[in-house]
Amino acid sequence: MQHETTNPPMISVRGMSKLFGKFVALDRVDFDVSRGEKIVVLGPSGSGKSTLIRTLNQIEPHDSGMLTIDGKLINDKTDPIQLRCMVGMVFQNYNLFPHLSALENCILAPMRVKRMTRLEATTLARRYLDLVGIPDQADKYPIQLSGGQQQRVAIARALCMQPEVMLFDEPTAALDPEAIVGVVGIMDELSEQGITTVCVTHEMAFSRRIADRIIFMDQGKIVEITPPETFFTSPKTDRAQNFLNQMLRY
Amino acid sequence: MTSFFSRLPLMRRFRRVAALAVMLGAPIGAHGTTHAEQIPSFVHDGTLTVCTNPTLPPMTFVKGQDVSHPEGFDIDVAQALATRWQARLSVITMDFTGLFPSLSAQRCGLVMSGIIRTPAREKSFDAVSYQDTALVVVGRKGTPSLSSMDELSGKDVAVESGTSYVTRLGVVNDALVAAGKPPMIIQQYPTEEQVVQQVLIGRVFAFVSQDVELFYRMRQLRDKLHVLITPDIPDYRHFAIYIRQNAEDRTLLQNAISALDADGSLQTLRTKWSVTDQSTKNGPDEAAASGMFDWSAFFSALTSTAFLHGALITLSVALISHIIAITISVPIAIVLNSPQQSVLKIALEGYVSLFRAAPTLLQLLFIWNAVPQFFPIFREQWFTPFLATILALSINESAYQVEINRAALSAVDPGQELGASALGLSRRDIYWRVIFPQAFRIALPPTINEFINLLKITSLASVISLQELLAVTQIQVARTFAFTEYYAAALIYYLVMVFFFLFLQKRVERRFSWSDRKKVVSNAA
Repeated sequence: MQHETTNPPMISVRGMSKLFGKFVALDRVDFDVSRGEKIVVLGPSGSGKSTLIRTLNQIEPHDSGMLTIDGKLINDKTDPIQLRCMVGMVFQNYNLFPHLSALENCILAPMRVKRMTRLEATTLARRYLDLVGIPDQADKYPIQLSGGQQQRVAIARALCMQPEVMLFDEPTAALDPEAIVGVVGIMDELSEQGITTVCVTHEMAFSRRIADRIIFMDQGKIVEITPPETFFTSPKTDRAQNFLNQMLRY
Repeated sequence: MTSFFSRLPLMRRFRRVAALAVMLGAPIGAHGTTHAEQIPSFVHDGTLTVCTNPTLPPMTFVKGQDVSHPEGFDIDVAQALATRWQARLSVITMDFTGLFPSLSAQRCGLVMSGIIRTPAREKSFDAVSYQDTALVVVGRKGTPSLSSMDELSGKDVAVESGTSYVTRLGVVNDALVAAGKPPMIIQQYPTEEQVVQQVLIGRVFAFVSQDVELFYRMRQLRDKLHVLITPDIPDYRHFAIYIRQNAEDRTLLQNAISALDADGSLQTLRTKWSVTDQSTKNGPDEAAASGMFDWSAFFSALTSTAFLHGALITLSVALISHIIAITISVPIAIVLNSPQQSVLKIALEGYVSLFRAAPTLLQLLFIWNAVPQFFPIFREQWFTPFLATILALSINESAYQVEINRAALSAVDPGQELGASALGLSRRDIYWRVIFPQAFRIALPPTINEFINLLKITSLASVISLQELLAVTQIQVARTFAFTEYYAAALIYYLVMVFFFLFLQKRVERRFSWSDRKKVVSNAA
């Protein structure tokens, strides 16, 4: 991937920290993500991966340090709604709205936030439900869908806001192996569309296939940032090596 | 819409105030010409307000369907006084126990409700006698007469609660105990007709009442009752009108009563209401119901405007109070569920605990009788029993509803809020589009439960003179003695109202099919 100096990074993080009480969840983290770049965040559980990507759309506001998205400084004075229109997110547990059908889940935010008409929002939603491969499930309630189908709806719902950045927080962790294949397939497809992506996952093969760079975290710190081929074959740190050993054992 | 609301006492009171405003211009001329008498200070704005408990025929009772218009000897005497003072008469009806607190709270100028003049009451209020009377002990026909009150030793005796008979019987009991005999067992009931009924059904040996009321009951019940003894008790010989202590007012009232006595007005009224007529003939128009269930009495109660009016008040008080309670309770529940500590949160916790702990009846009495002593604005005309009940019940119910809402809001997965805010939805949309619809499903069954409870709790408001369904029933029973038929009619009204809301709950729950996999599948198929 190109790292042109003329093109400002999509995401820029400098010395960012986040505390939960006395627990340091993020400890002075620095990194940049270029426009269109795909980042996979790896690390043992409790290492701060989820906290990191949740600060990027400010559903967990950071305590100190600097965050800019698309050149705009993000702090507690930023309108979170504008930010979230630009940064979409998919959760481990889908977080679909159970009282709304798949289609209604997708059109709610475009209608309420972007003030689209129902017709515009529905057309858009059908396109993305089609993209994630479940055009025929549009009128079903989440409870009627399998886990894999629910996560596809959640991805379509986030894409309906047409964000410039997509955040994935362990999107396949709650799925059975068969469903994982489907969801990973969709993410592969998305990665080809050039959308900037930050993904927390344990899917090693997927990471290796799509990531431009791997961020490896431990105890709230970024331990290394490397291209996947380097990370998976010859990681720079012992901690990364230990992590890989453990992951490959299981 | 209009016709429905015009039935409510609030609206009626407004109309009354409006009519009063029209009249205010008029009396000025009349004032100038007559100006015969000085007017007591308890007559305000040309209105004499009287508090009464209309369950004591022939002194004060409801003859017709409109329970807010009692009739009787007392009411006619009050009317004669009002006429003398060139004032309008306004009558407020309530439970007996509410009469004196209402007088203290300045809700009425005077209390007239067939009340005995006693030294104990005169410590707190001024009294003017207007009718001679005697205390009587009454049993069922066939019970042998008594030669002394001591013979009541160990027997069950019924009296109306809040009356002076209770204290008087206490004195008799003290004497019995001192003489080494078992005391009477005193049962207290809130209305006179219930006292009589205890004797008729044989639960108690005798009841204690006044001769005047007894004569009326005996005519009504033909010859089912029998005077056991008329003890001579010096303190218990007069009915009195009670006012707040004021020597000048007392003199003016005494003069007015003396004048009414001198010109024969009182005697005319005594004859009209058969106050001193001991014969068992010339009974009231409606004889008491016989032992069997009287279907026509039941159906006439069921279709009467009095019952319909009572039921509408019950329903509107419950609905309005609950809507206000829910509106207050949702924001409180949200604040209480938030993790941050704040002064507001501690204050709201105090509010919820206080109103969950305090008995509803006490809250009603407090708002109606105690609050006006500190804030005079609450004894003005606009503050009707209807408004007072809604105020008390909304506050009380909001405290319970907060707990339901808290539970329902906590039951919604926190991931829902996270997911919604990640989509850029505003706080408002997160609550209205995502959290509330899910919390609503969880809160609905307990909320309907609360509503049904509230519908029934409105009956407590009869103590502050709200003419809701049960108060109407009691007043009508006092007139007719048709206990079974009228209770049954009231029951039908309650059942119809409750079943309607249960039906509504089922209908609404059917829309929550999204929460049940099996139902969704079967609906789709």
